[in-house]
This record gives sequence, structure tokens and C-alpha cells, in this order.
Amino acid sequence: MAAQNAWILGIMTVMFLGLGYLGVPVAFSLMAGVLVGTALTPITFQSMIGQLFNGIDSESLMAIPFFLLVGELMTSANVVIRIAELSQAMVGHIRGGLAQVTTVFSMFFSGMSGSSSADVAVLSRTMAKPMGQEGYSPQFVAALIAAASTIAALVPPSIMAVVYGAIGNVSIAGLFLGGVLPGLMIGGGLMVYCYFFGPAGFRRKRATLRQLGTAGKGAALPLMIPVILLGGIMTGWFTPTEAGVIAIVYILTIVIPLLNPGHMKNVPHDFIQAGLIFSLPLITIAAASAFGWMLAYLRGPIVVAGWIGSMAGTDPVMIMFLLVVVFVIVGDFIEPIPAIIIFMPVVTNLTDAADIKPVHMGVVLIVTLAFGLITPPYGLALLMASKFVGTSFNSALKASLPIYVIFFATIAFTIFFPSAVLWLPKTVFPESVGCFKAPSGVGYICP
Amino acid sequence: MSELTATGGAPAPIVLPTARHLKWPALDGLERALMILCGICLAAFSTAVFLDVFTRQIGHPWLWLQEVTSAFFTYGIFFGTGVAVRRNDHLYLSAIAEHLSGAKRTVLEVFNRGVVLAVGIAMVVFGWQNFLQGFGSFRMPSMTPIAYLYWPIPVAGALVALFSLEQIVNGLKNGFDAAPDKDQH
Repeated sequence: MAAQNAWILGIMTVMFLGLGYLGVPVAFSLMAGVLVGTALTPITFQSMIGQLFNGIDSESLMAIPFFLLVGELMTSANVVIRIAELSQAMVGHIRGGLAQVTTVFSMFFSGMSGSSSADVAVLSRTMAKPMGQEGYSPQFVAALIAAASTIAALVPPSIMAVVYGAIGNVSIAGLFLGGVLPGLMIGGGLMVYCYFFGPAGFRRKRATLRQLGTAGKGAALPLMIPVILLGGIMTGWFTPTEAGVIAIVYILTIVIPLLNPGHMKNVPHDFIQAGLIFSLPLITIAAASAFGWMLAYLRGPIVVAGWIGSMAGTDPVMIMFLLVVVFVIVGDFIEPIPAIIIFMPVVTNLTDAADIKPVHMGVVLIVTLAFGLITPPYGLALLMASKFVGTSFNSALKASLPIYVIFFATIAFTIFFPSAVLWLPKTVFPESVGCFKAPSGVGYICP
Repeated sequence: MSELTATGGAPAPIVLPTARHLKWPALDGLERALMILCGICLAAFSTAVFLDVFTRQIGHPWLWLQEVTSAFFTYGIFFGTGVAVRRNDHLYLSAIAEHLSGAKRTVLEVFNRGVVLAVGIAMVVFGWQNFLQGFGSFRMPSMTPIAYLYWPIPVAGALVALFSLEQIVNGLKNGFDAAPDKDQH
């Protein structure tokens, strides 16, 4: 029986990867694999097609359209340029000039979009041309934009964290807060890299306090969006989905009317575009959850968890290290979101076995998957950046190699220093990491 | 400070003007209608979530709003899935076919779209069975048959099948080579 299950799983995986690499869209190659797997088991096709619906029937996943719509509205209304200008006033004078600006801009914009793809698109549109004019090589620009855009996968409102939390039943607020430190580490690491090892760029004069104040004033309204998103969730007023819609209302009633009133006539068009864009990751999630369901039915997670368990025992560091290896390999071939959904049962088993805090495990794996966005052969962010900037994937990849060190350091840090990763969630939202209120009513008890 | 490049600009056309040689003009109206439906679903979904928050904050929650929310959320996903096939907007692992030409490319492009067509047909047949069975289960609190959430699956399947058939027929007639628009996502 176990051998038969392994065969079926093998066929499903080969179908998915084979068809995917031949050029069948990810969602359909997943579904094709599932349907073939279904034909080899007693499960009915009807129930597997129904699984498509079950995969997206989650309140938490409903946050995704709003975060994508925030990015679409901010970009198409050209409001993001104000954040780029603030970034330039803050760090444009540092060695590396526009490279530093790109990194800081990405750190700000990540706090609104939650999507690396949206970040790549915006950074490429805003920064690539001026960087090219200042003599930065296209491959460096593409590598930097791709690496900087991964911050969006880590910091709130990361869509990857939403999916991980929704599928793994882990606190999304905890994952948001836990991702802040690794996000800052990658941003800071990129700035240090650009300072010491990147092109010098054009050195601007340091912005005066007045210029900084003007740029800050100009960006103040858009910068309230991360405050609304995170503040609403942390105070318990809103779920991530509700915080997303409040941010949309804020943009539609305050940001665009005040900063670019002429854009209001194009808002219906933004809804149409975002209405299409949000369906793409979600149908992939639907198909991946059907695939994950079949994987669980065929006892795949138990087998993989058994392999890892037999090598690592219950040593949390070893288990996390092996899972990082698995996710680096998996993330090289498939999208982060299907990877999370398909492998979540394995992760849950091992997290329980080694008594690892679910938020800690989540942050480690999300950082690993974010790294997968810039590694070959399927580094989505690098693929997109090289295409937008107009350079080959391979040359952008070569320029990315030194940047990998920053990611290795960040992944190692998140594995070995759980107390640092969990400090922010524990301080701001103790329940997210399993703490509960002390019987006296004062403070929290954290097991 | 103005050296940075502005984003935004004139909105892109609703019906994608690329890869026209793979499209029947007669289906442009359907693409337009589906795109507008996607926008309507997102707008309705957003409004429902906003009203859900608002009515809860004023102490008079409308519980049925959550059912409206999940309905528009689901409809938007499946309409988008259908129309994205025509626009080649889905997420891809690779675009090997673009690097090929002639008969090899034709075979691969037809094969890939054939797979999508087969999945679309499966969505129609088994999604329809699911829809019919959905009249026996109910959503709380309104006790509406869950079939109202399942109907978009066979509809999306039909759209997926239709648009992949459109591309196969036109690709065989006009060739696939002049279609460099498939974004590698």
C-alpha cells in the first residue's frame, strides 16, 4: 500500500512539474496532477473538484485581494512616487545613491503591498530608468530590485504570511510581527552591500531638513497605510481582511482625492485590473490545496516527516535546518504559495514533534521561501525584474550571487535566535506566540 | 527629486490588444464582460466587508454579509480564472514554447492548451455534479443551498475550455510564433 501511494505521489509530482515546465499554467498543471492521482485512487473526481472551493473558503485568504488592490491603487494613482522621493531625501546622499533609495523605497512600499510581485513591478517602473541613466548596470539593477522586493514577503501585510497563517492555523499577526526583524535585516544588509560593494552611483548633496520635511509631508498620507493595516490588526479591532478594506476606504476617500484627484475617474479601471490579478494566486492556492489534500490522503506528509524525524530526532534546530533545505529545493522549482500549502502538513507534524513555536517555524520558512524568489530556476522576483529591466535572467542571477550571503545570514539568524525573532510578537501581541493572561490580570505567562 | 519615473498614466485597455492572431474578435465582448464582472465582484466584495465592519462597530451586525462576502470572493476568483486563460495571464513556471519555432512549437503549444482544455472539461462535468449536490447542503445562518457557491466552478471550466479551444484553433490556423506576449510570471 505504501509503495502504491509512493507511486501515485510520484506520478502526480512528475505531472505537475513536467507540465509546469512545459508551459502549462501552474494552477492547471497542479489540477492535472490531482486529476490523474484521483483516477488511481477510490476518491471521486467530483469531490476533488469540490476541493478547489474548499481550498479558498477561508476568511484569512480574503485579505489577499485587498492588499493587491492597495498596491494597484497606489501605483496607478502615482502616489508611490512620493514615497520614492522621501526615500531619496533620506538616503540619496549615501554612497550607492539610487541603490540605497531603491532599498529604502522597497522597505516602505512592502509595508503596503504585501506582494513581492507588486514590489518588483513598482520598483522597476520607478527606479530602473533613473538608475540606468546614472550608469548602474541593468543586471545589478535587476538583482537589487528582485532582492529588495523579497522584503514584501516578510513584513506586514505579507501575503505569504497570510497564506501560511490561514493554512497552518498560525497567528497571522504573530507572523507579521515576527517577519519585521528579518525584513529589516535584509533591507539593512542590502544597504550595507550597496555601500561597500555596489557601484558608487551619483552622490547627491545631503537633503536639508527643510527638504526632508517637505518630502515627509508629501509622503505622510500614504505612509499611514501600514499604520492602519498593522494598527487595526494589533489592537484587535480588525482581522487582516477587514484592515485591508479599511485601508482601501482610506485610499479612496482621503489619499487619492487629496493627492491625485484626477485619478478618481480611473478607479473603476483599477478595480477591474485588481479583480483579475487577485484571482491568479487564489486559483493557484485552490489547486495547490487540492494537491495538498491528495498528498495528505496518500500519507505523504507522514512519510516525509518520518524521514526528517529519523535524521533530526526532536532537535528543533536540526529539524528547522532540514526543513530549510527542503524548502530551498522546493522553492527553486515551485511558487511559494503552493509550496506552503502542499508541505504544511509536514511542517505541522514536525513543529509539534519538536515543540517549536509555530510563529518561529513560520518566520524561518517564509524567509527561506523569500530567498527562493531570487534563486534559479524559478526565482519569480528575479525573472520579473530581469524582464522589466531588460536584461537576461542569467546575467541578473550572476549579479545576485553576492546578495545570497545576506539571505544565508538572515535564515541562520532566524533559526538560531528564536528569542530575537519572537521578541516583537511577544511584546506587542503576546497571544500570538502562545502566551496567556496571568490569573492576577497583570501581564502574561509565556510557556 | 523629480528624476524618479512616475507610475500610473493612462489605463490599459480592458480587452488585451496582444496576441490577436490567437483570438476570435467575436469573443472580445465576452472578455470585456468578464473583466468588468471581475471588477464588480471585487467592488461588491469590498463593500460587503466594509459594511460587515461598519455594522459590527455600530452594534448591529448583519450576519448574512459574510455569506455575501464569500460569494463574491469565490465568483471573482473563478471568473478571473476563466478570462485569464484568454489573456495568458496565469502564473507560469516556464515558457519553453517561446524558445521553439515551427512544428515543435505548434505541437507543444497545442499539447499545453490541450491539457488546460481537459482540466476545463473536468471542471465543467464534475463541477456541475458538485453544483447539483450542493442543493442538499446549506450555509448558515441564511440556510441558502451551498450550490450558490459552487456554480462558478463549471462556468469557469466552460470559459477555460472555450478560450483554450479558441487558441488551439487559431494557433493551428495562424501559427503560434507571433505570440511573444505570454508573460513569464
